[in-house]
Amino acid sequence: MVLDLTMSMAVLALLGALATIAGCLEDLESDVGSQSNPNSQVQLAPQMGFLHRIFNKAISGEPISNGMSAVTGGVVTTVLLNAKFYPLTAIVIGAFIAAVIYGIFATTSYAGRVASQTRFKQPLYMDIMRYTTPSIIAHNFIVCFCLVSIAYIQYAVLGYPFTIPFLALIWGISVGAIGSSVGDVHYGGEREFQNREFGCGLNTALSGRIVRRAESGLRNSIDNVWFCAKFGGPATGIGLGLTVFFSSWPTTIWGYTWKAMIVGVIILAVMTIMNRLVEINVKNAYGPYKEDKEEKEAVSVAHTH
Amino acid sequence: MSDLKEIPPNTLAMFGISGGLLGIYLSPLFPTAGALGAICAVIWSAEAVRRVAKYGLGTGVPSIGQIAMGMGIIAAMFGLAIVKSMPLAGPILALVTASIIGFIIGWFAQNVIKMKIPVMIRCMTEIAAGGALIIIGFSAAVAGNFDFMGSIIPKVFDNGVMLAVFWVGAMAMLHPFNACLGPDERQKRLLYLAGSTGAITMAIMGIAATMTLGASGAATLILGIILWLIFYKKFWDEVYNDAASVIGTGLIPKTEA
Repeated sequence: MVLDLTMSMAVLALLGALATIAGCLEDLESDVGSQSNPNSQVQLAPQMGFLHRIFNKAISGEPISNGMSAVTGGVVTTVLLNAKFYPLTAIVIGAFIAAVIYGIFATTSYAGRVASQTRFKQPLYMDIMRYTTPSIIAHNFIVCFCLVSIAYIQYAVLGYPFTIPFLALIWGISVGAIGSSVGDVHYGGEREFQNREFGCGLNTALSGRIVRRAESGLRNSIDNVWFCAKFGGPATGIGLGLTVFFSSWPTTIWGYTWKAMIVGVIILAVMTIMNRLVEINVKNAYGPYKEDKEEKEAVSVAHTH
Repeated sequence: MSDLKEIPPNTLAMFGISGGLLGIYLSPLFPTAGALGAICAVIWSAEAVRRVAKYGLGTGVPSIGQIAMGMGIIAAMFGLAIVKSMPLAGPILALVTASIIGFIIGWFAQNVIKMKIPVMIRCMTEIAAGGALIIIGFSAAVAGNFDFMGSIIPKVFDNGVMLAVFWVGAMAMLHPFNACLGPDERQKRLLYLAGSTGAITMAIMGIAATMTLGASGAATLILGIILWLIFYKKFWDEVYNDAASVIGTGLIPKTEA
């Protein structure tokens, strides 16, 4: 389908918006279950004597698990489109089935991982299982809906020569990779170790000594997603949204020409300079890692808790 | 744990290879058999992943599953495509090719990268062969038979279902050990979980097969859901047996920390 400039900009804006929502919700979904990087500390905690009430969703890394959910949604949507369903209905049903399957994988990983920690006396809390799994399914449903919608728009409106499952899989891997690299920092360093000085780095002796108590009562995964929704999730959403927008914007305006290529290179150069400036600022503010007295005391206090 | 009786690797390999090949060869008569064969291969290769990943491959478990499917899909396509005059030899040729690729990659990991894992070569061979059987089995369940040019390309590759076979098949193989990782991991629980993940994959293939095959796809879907219910229940029984305690809610028990 050939679109005029206004329509193609509208489609691009829609893709960017869908990608922003998908990126944000993907990061929050991984935080509900403590997936990916922060997972290692949740997994390690019982071994260090720190039993907890946090969900342990070990469905491999985020790119692989989100790829699975997106490709499942893509296949189901293809089947329903083939059976002459309306596109929106097909995408919603596809995303729902994919999210439920994702939730099933989440329950098995929580139950399996906790059952493999018997010698550390980590209990399997069924209330955590009951109210965290629906939250994971709900978050993943929105992610999958957005990704399959992007794949459908690319396939049906923009006329990409690939199938919907293929495009959905690529988007699933991308959203997982960006969620893992942008958003996890906010959960890992800032939430699990919020009783340490910000930017202090993680001493090996502190491994597994995660914060387990909340403002009121014991901390659980819903408390974590509440925290991450303030910054980590939106930052990931902007990350993926901008990636989608800036990678397609030059070719939308100037077509597949050298001019568009040059604009792309300029965008890349500006981004690189901005990244470097942020990095220099962070290094000046926090400096190299050094162990101070307070931290040693914190370790000994943690031992006596 | 050594005090518990485990099913020996050779028995599981026999179960995976014979079950997988039988299912694939029955698939032209009854496409659901292809998916059942693939579940046998999933159970076998998930246990092979367990044996090799027990040597401290924490984050490496998903990578093992992906490399297994990578080796498997190359061997499956090669094996099925090269036998033009005798299509019946295809699955066996794919199995042999996958084993050779797995053996070479395992040999490299052991002797060139020097990973020093004693079971590396054997397990890489097993998971590559298992990966090939999983790919062919689930593809045959969607395509109706294992004729590469006539059925698998138009019914599995062209509509993108192959990506689900590849990706969800890899998850079915790698998830059981990844989800049960820990010092008190048990083989029995892992095998039930492998059956469960295999059955979920079978149900997804059933949905895809309703598009390509119609009614026999619905049979795959329904049988997949029933098998999943059985294996999932068995997995939970094992969790209730193995876990330190399963409680509705409660405070954190006191420890020294």
